[in-house]
Order: sequence, then C-alpha cells, then structure tokens
Amino acid sequence: MKKSWLRGYIAKRLLFAVIVAWGILTVTFILVRVGPTSPADHYLANVAAQGQDPSQVVAAIEARYGLDRPLHQQYLSYVGNLARGNLGWSFSNSMPVIALIKTHWIYSFQLILLSTIFAGVIGILIGIFSAVRQYTKTDYAATFLSFIGISIPNFWLGVMLILLFSVKFGLFKTYYDTSLSLLSLANFRQLILPVITLGTGMLAGYVRYTRSAMLDNLRKDFVRTARAKGLPERTVIGKHVLRNAMLPLITIIMFDLGSIVFGGAYLTEIVFGIPGLGRVSFNAIFAADYAVVVAVTLISAFLILIINLVTDITYTYLDPRIRYD
Amino acid sequence: MEKPILRIRNLKTYFFTRRGTVRAVDGVDFDLLKGECLCLVGESGCGKTVTALSILGLIDSPPGRVVDGEIYYDNVNLLKCSPEQMRRLRGKEIAMVFQDAQSALNPVFTIGDQIAEQVKLHLGVGGGEARQRAVDLLGEVGIPSPEKEVDYYPHQLSGGMKQRAMIAMSLSCDPQVLIADEPTTAVDVTIKAQILDVFQRLRETRQMSLLFITHELGVVSEIGDRMVVMYAGRLAEAAAVTELLGDPKHPYTAGLIKCVPDITKTRDRLESIPGTVPSLIDPPRGCLFHPRCDQAMAICSQEKPPLTMVGKGHTVFCHLYNGIKGNGEQ
Amino acid sequence: MTNRLNRVKSVARKVGGIRRLILILMAVSLGTTALLDFFVVEKIFGPLVYLYIALSTIVGLYVIYPLYAGRRLTKYYWVRVKRNRLAVWGLGFILFLILLALIGPFFTADPTAVSFEEKNIPPLGFTIEESVYEPETEQFIAKTITATGEHPLGTDNKGRDLLAMIVSGAGVSLQVGLLATGIALTIGTLIGVMSAYLGGKMDNILMRLTDVMMAFPFFLLLVFIVFIFGPNLAFIVLVIGLTGWTGAARLIRSQTLSLRTREFVMASKALGASDSRIILAHLVPNVISLIIVMATLSIPGVILAEAALSFIGLGDPNVTSWGMVLRAGQQSLDTTWWVAVVPGVMLFLTVLAFNFVGDGLRDAFDPRSAL
Repeated sequence: MKKSWLRGYIAKRLLFAVIVAWGILTVTFILVRVGPTSPADHYLANVAAQGQDPSQVVAAIEARYGLDRPLHQQYLSYVGNLARGNLGWSFSNSMPVIALIKTHWIYSFQLILLSTIFAGVIGILIGIFSAVRQYTKTDYAATFLSFIGISIPNFWLGVMLILLFSVKFGLFKTYYDTSLSLLSLANFRQLILPVITLGTGMLAGYVRYTRSAMLDNLRKDFVRTARAKGLPERTVIGKHVLRNAMLPLITIIMFDLGSIVFGGAYLTEIVFGIPGLGRVSFNAIFAADYAVVVAVTLISAFLILIINLVTDITYTYLDPRIRYD
Repeated sequence: MEKPILRIRNLKTYFFTRRGTVRAVDGVDFDLLKGECLCLVGESGCGKTVTALSILGLIDSPPGRVVDGEIYYDNVNLLKCSPEQMRRLRGKEIAMVFQDAQSALNPVFTIGDQIAEQVKLHLGVGGGEARQRAVDLLGEVGIPSPEKEVDYYPHQLSGGMKQRAMIAMSLSCDPQVLIADEPTTAVDVTIKAQILDVFQRLRETRQMSLLFITHELGVVSEIGDRMVVMYAGRLAEAAAVTELLGDPKHPYTAGLIKCVPDITKTRDRLESIPGTVPSLIDPPRGCLFHPRCDQAMAICSQEKPPLTMVGKGHTVFCHLYNGIKGNGEQ
Repeated sequence: MTNRLNRVKSVARKVGGIRRLILILMAVSLGTTALLDFFVVEKIFGPLVYLYIALSTIVGLYVIYPLYAGRRLTKYYWVRVKRNRLAVWGLGFILFLILLALIGPFFTADPTAVSFEEKNIPPLGFTIEESVYEPETEQFIAKTITATGEHPLGTDNKGRDLLAMIVSGAGVSLQVGLLATGIALTIGTLIGVMSAYLGGKMDNILMRLTDVMMAFPFFLLLVFIVFIFGPNLAFIVLVIGLTGWTGAARLIRSQTLSLRTREFVMASKALGASDSRIILAHLVPNVISLIIVMATLSIPGVILAEAALSFIGLGDPNVTSWGMVLRAGQQSLDTTWWVAVVPGVMLFLTVLAFNFVGDGLRDAFDPRSAL
C-alpha cells in the first residue's frame, strides 16, 4: 500500500532517534564524570595492591583517559571515539572493549533469541486459545498460571531450577560450557534451563497481552460479518481477529523488550554463568573496569532505540488507518 | 402464487442472562416469498435483528439460543442443520447486510479483499477472477471508478460508499435471499435515498428475495411488497404494504402510522404512543401491547391474542378481531 | 481567632488552595531542616525519613483526601474490588507483610548476628547430614544437624537466623516499594500532566526527555548508577524512583490528553473555571484511579529491582534484604538450600499479591467490566 507521507515520517523519526541517541550519550557521560569515584580511584586500589607508586600511576591514568583535560574536551573526544567505533580499553580483560563485545555478544543473542521464540510462540498460542475459550476452565487456568509466571522473580526461578535439576537431580551442569559449538545439540541442552528462566516471565506476559487484545477484538462487529459470510471459524479467528489484535500486541512486545528482557537476560546470564554481555559487564563492575560498563550500557540503549524505530515503522505498514502527518 | 423460499414457524430465541431469561423472539411466523421484498418492521428492541440472526445461525451461543421453532429454507430446516452445513449456506444462499458499515467491515483489509475472500471460498475461483468479480460488483452497486476503489480500505470511503461496498459483498455469491438489517438507519437522508435506489435496482436485475428490516415506515412504503410488524418479540400484524399502511387493524400499527408526522398538516403536538415497551424478561400476561392500548379489553390481559385473517393475505394478532372471518363477517 | 483564620484563608486563596499551602509549608520546612542537617548540625534525620515525610504529605493531600472527600464513590469501588477473591487474598497478604515488618523485629533475633556454632541448621521438619572435617582425627565424619525451635526457618552458613532475616527483609521490601513507587509516580504524574496540559514545545521537550530515559534498559541503568555512586539504601530508593517514572508519565499524559477534550472539561471552561481549577478539580480525580492502579502494579517491579540489585551484590551491605539472603543461599546451594528457597518464595508471594490487587483494582475501576 502506498503511503506517500511515509518517507517524511521516517526522516522525522530518524531525526528524533538521533536526538535521543545524543541524549543517551550525554547522560551517560555526565553520570560517569559526575560520579564521586573516578576511573582512576578504582584502578588505584588495584595498583596499590601491586605495590606501584600511586601518584605516578594517577598521572599516567589521567593522561591516558584524558581526565586532566577540561570537561568539554573530554566530551568531544568521547563522542569522537564512539563515532569511530573506539569504545576504549578494558584493562581487566586486556583487550579493546570492542573486541570483548565481538566475542561475547553471541551468547546474549542466542539466549534472548531462543527465549523470545519460546515465549512468543507458546505465549501467543495460549493467549489466543484462552480468549476464544473465555470463561471456561482452560481460560481460568491459563490466566491464573500467567499471573504466577509474571510474579516469579526470574533470578530466583533460575536458582530454583539449578537447585532442582542440577544439584538434586544432576541432569544439567551448574556452569555453562563455552567449548560446545553453538549450533550443537549439547549447546541447546545446556540452554534449556536458562531459556526457561528468561522465557517464563515473557511467556506469561505474552499470554496476558494476547488474550486481552483478542478479547477486545472478538466482540467487534466485523467478526459477525465474517461469520455471516460463511467463513470457517479458524479463518475468522486466525485471519480477521488476529490481524487486528496483532497491532497493539507488537508495540507492547517491542516495548517490553527493553525494560524487561534486557534486565532479565542480564540476571539470567549471571545466575547460569553464561558469558554474554550482561555477565561481562557485571564482572567489569567488580573489577572497576569503567569502559566495559559504559560500553554495554550504551549498546543496549542504542539497540532499544533502533528496535523502537523499526517497530514504529512496521506498525504504520500493518495498520492502514495510521497517518503520521 | 409464488413459492415461499423462507418459512419461519414459531421461532423462539431466548437469551439466558444473570438477570433473567430475555425472550427476544417469542413465537414468530412468517414467509418470505421468492422474489419479493418483505419488510420486517418494529421499534428498536422488538426482536427484528435477533430474528434475522436466528435465520443465519449467528446468535451468540452463550447466552442466546433458539429454543423452539422451525426455519425452512427451500424445505430444509435450518435449525436442524449441522454447523458445517450452515456455514456453507451463509454468504452463498442467504447473505446479510448489517446496519453500521463502518464497524461491520474489517478495517485492516481492503474492500476488494473482503469481497474476494467470500467469492474464493464459496465459488472456488482464483485470485484474479475473484478480484474482477469484486470490481464488477462494486460497479453494480453504483460505486464510481470501482477499479480504483476496490483497493481502498474501509476508512477511506464515505458512509454511503461503505454501505454500498457491504451490499456488494453480500451479493458476491449470488445469494437467493438477502437480509438487510436497517441498512438505511445509520445514514443521512440523501444517502438513504441512494441506498434505497441501489436496492430497487438490484431487485429489478436479480431474482433475489429481500428481507428488509427497518423501523422507518417511509422506507417500507418505498421498497416493500409485504410487511410484518413485530412488537416486543411477537407478531402484531402482517399484510401487503399498501393494504396495511392504508388500513391498519392492530392498534399498535395504527399508532405507529399516526406517529409519522404529516408535512401537509399543521399540528401543535406530535403524536406518540403512551407508555414504554415491556420488559422482555418478565413479559405481562396476555397481549404484550395491552398496557399501552387505548382499545384494550378484559381478555387482553388474560390471553395471548390468536391469529386472525382480516383480509386477503392480511393477518393480525388482536382480540378486537377475534373470530372475524376473512370476508369481514363475524 | 476568626481573624487569623480569615488571614490564612486569604493566603491560601492566593497560592491556589489549602492543600497547596500545606504542600508549600512542608517543602519549606523539610528544605530548611535538610540544609541545617547538612551544614550545621549532626544528622537529625536519616535521609529515608525526609523521603517518608515528603511522600506521606503528598499522598495524604492528593490521594487520601480526595478518596475521603468522595466517600460514596470510594465505597462503590471498594465493593466491586471485594468481589474479586484473588485481590482480597492479595490485600490480606500485604497486610500480613506489614504486620510482620512492624511487629516481627520485636519477636525475632538479630538478623545480623553471626554464630559459627549455629550454622547450617535446617528449618523445622528437616534434618540434614553434613560431613564435617575434624582436624583432630583428620577425617570427615558425618554429623546430623536437626532443626530447633529456636530457629524455625533454620540458619545460613554463617549462623544467622533465617526468620529474622526474612522479617527484616519484609520491612526493607515494603519501604523500598512504597517510597520508590511514590517518587516515581509523583514525578511521572507531574511530568505527564504538565506535558499534556501545556502542550506545544514543552510537551515536545518533555517527551524527548522521556524517550531518552526510556531508551536505557531499566535494570542496566540502575546497575550503572549504583555502580558509580555506591550502594546505599536511601540512594537506591531515590534512583529507582528517578529512573522508573517514564511509564507513568506516558500513561498519564495520554489520559490527560484524552480528558482535556472531553465534554465535561469544555463545559467547565465554558462556565469560566480557571486552568488550575480544571486540572485539580476535574482532571486529577479522573487520573487518580489510573494512578492507584499504576502504583499497585509498579510496586512489585520496584521490589524486584531492589532484590535483584542485592542479589548481584550491589545492595546496601548494611541492610538485610531478601535479595541479599537469596544471594547467600545461592552461594551455598548444596549445603543450605533453604536459605535460597524461602526469600524467593516471599518475593514471589509479595509480587503475586500486588499483582492480584492491582488487577482487581483495574477491573473495579473499569466501567465496562462486568462486575
């Protein structure tokens, strides 16, 4: 369907995205520089333990990180570095941050991807089923279980799953083995518990949202028209109702991605020892490795920004009634 | 005499709710003859739409149910058909046009798609042919440049166009019976006339039987051959349109006709029927209209009025005419 | 006497109402006390107390009072809520938690009391076998440890009483939940209403700001800030509140926008009501039900956020919260599994209770739901 105003809309959204991106950069920068601790302080603690002369080290660090230069110069070089893809140096891992990210992002990605597929497919199906069979026992059971699903703290669920299946029953190892090839069956096997941990909360959420979106649309007049045309029930639900219900659902799912999924993935990686970006960032915190923490925060914020942008544009394609002009 | 294509006998559709059982349709009989336009008339809530939905088996099953009666389409009792048989019949043999075109059309599909999907389903044609058929139908209902508009979404069309598109959709599989549920009610006067025009033309070109539901007597007089008046879920009177409008026997029908303001006369007040429609959950005994009727007799509050023939093809349910034979003799 | 009363009334009128007057007075007095605290005297109040006073005043003036003033309406909604059994259970559990947090500390041991003789005791009804290294015989011998009534929920691997830790954690979670949600919602409401009502450039700026805040994944941002500034409970509460207002701001803004064009607002304007009167008398009461529902549904998220922070080690080390206990439990999962189970169960039940109540409230307030 042709939407002549779409190009203008995309341009406007990109502009906003750039503004928000700049906002993200600036806020991060301010937080780091304004904080009571400087990168130098933490490094000093390490250094003092190694017996070097602190004052020399401080000077070296400040020179290296440019902390002795005026604030606005620091900001400019910070932005400049980011633009060139230089995310700094991780001294606790002895490699450039960007290399660190390249090696570890895949673990986070596979966890989030598998969990989303698991939660999405099962959650949406249960949600549809629950809505179509409203007020039956299946519906009440599904609704109650989804309450439980969204209430379980996911880090606790991970610990409990480990307690049961790794400690008591010995079915899974308690740590993540990185030597296994990513596409191997053994890798999927060791991802079962983490995916259940991260996916349960998401699944329960999807069940609720899908059910409510379906219910809203099942009452509408066009459903009666579709039936009056003699369409089989599965077409009425699966095509006519679902298409309308999907619209708000997609926005909600994408919106959740940022707040819930990323935070959940972070915790899941820590509990199961999966060496994804969350775990890397977490280790960096206790090693006081600023550059890594800043980089991971920035990357996740930008990812969410891009996902939101893509969602908005996709939505305008899906809903013919929307006009953003 | 033409054959009836739809015969409804003693139809009773009740809704079982927490507050009680709503007797939406409580014993309705009428026939729809082949090729005629029968108007089902009555005020809001009298059961016209529920009757139509009962014919197509579209009553929401909790809480509603057809509890009694028979609906014969071409000698097949629809109420005894399996859901699959009913499904094949809907849209192909009996089609329905709804009142509010905006909400009755699916907003995320083009009108072309919505017409074509029905054609593809019932007639088994491919995509290209179905689309062409959609274009033809849109042209038949009077939509200008149908090749363009076939790809429009419902929200891009004006009210009158949407209504025409819905009519086109209902005609797509050449149904024998078309049920139109108040198609002119939700539109303004100029569009009303256009829509009626469309129906008139369709009646001339196709051999279709039309069950036209409305509460507007003006529309009835324009398009109807015969009419059936309903009140609170039951029948009041039935006759040919000119006969009934000229010589209404039932006090309710007479009252309805008097309510229509006459533009040639000067009056101080508008006529109305005093009182309100009774509750369908706990209907009063006897004739449902008797609390509001100025000719009510003792028997009216005791017994349901029986069917009486008061003229050729003119039936009425009123104790006033109890026992009067067709030729007017007692 | 009446003269003084009249003078108060006239001042109140100038600032826009008695409630606003009280709010201003409270802000001023808290502000001066805080300054005194900071510069002149040794800590009179801990930082949490300021938050408490500020929040209770705001909630009391703008939430409790309107509910009381519209008693009949409040009662109507209450009846509707009561029909939802799950919500009633939820409320009961929350009340139980409050009691536990308030009265519990008087009956339980000190949650921080470490005791190596009493470590690894299982909860009532369980006994465990432990293999202990005896340096004298240089062997591992099996020792059975039985539960005692003194520690009904057992102890952890440092001998701390689990029941005491749970009770302490209840208090922490409730406080964090209430305070942080209060902060987040106050900020969110202010921004949402201002943005919607002022419109134009202000609206744009505020919404861009909200977008920037929302782009950061909530938990990662929390971790980031706590990492930089250090883990301190009052600070954590403040940070959760300062980062979690975005959802509320968006929802309230859209609700206010839709209310602004509703007929009763236009009718008010036609009758000559001023802008602030319209906001306070008409818009706010309609938004209150939304605020209440959002509050009950945000509290569990806040509680989980604090628990997650403590779990990964970024919580306040001087405070015993459920997250911290869970962390201890996880680290000795094979010897003291109960330490990992109990706080999680409590967290789960608390979150569940608030979710039930929030859902029940939402259904009760929705005129379309069949109650």
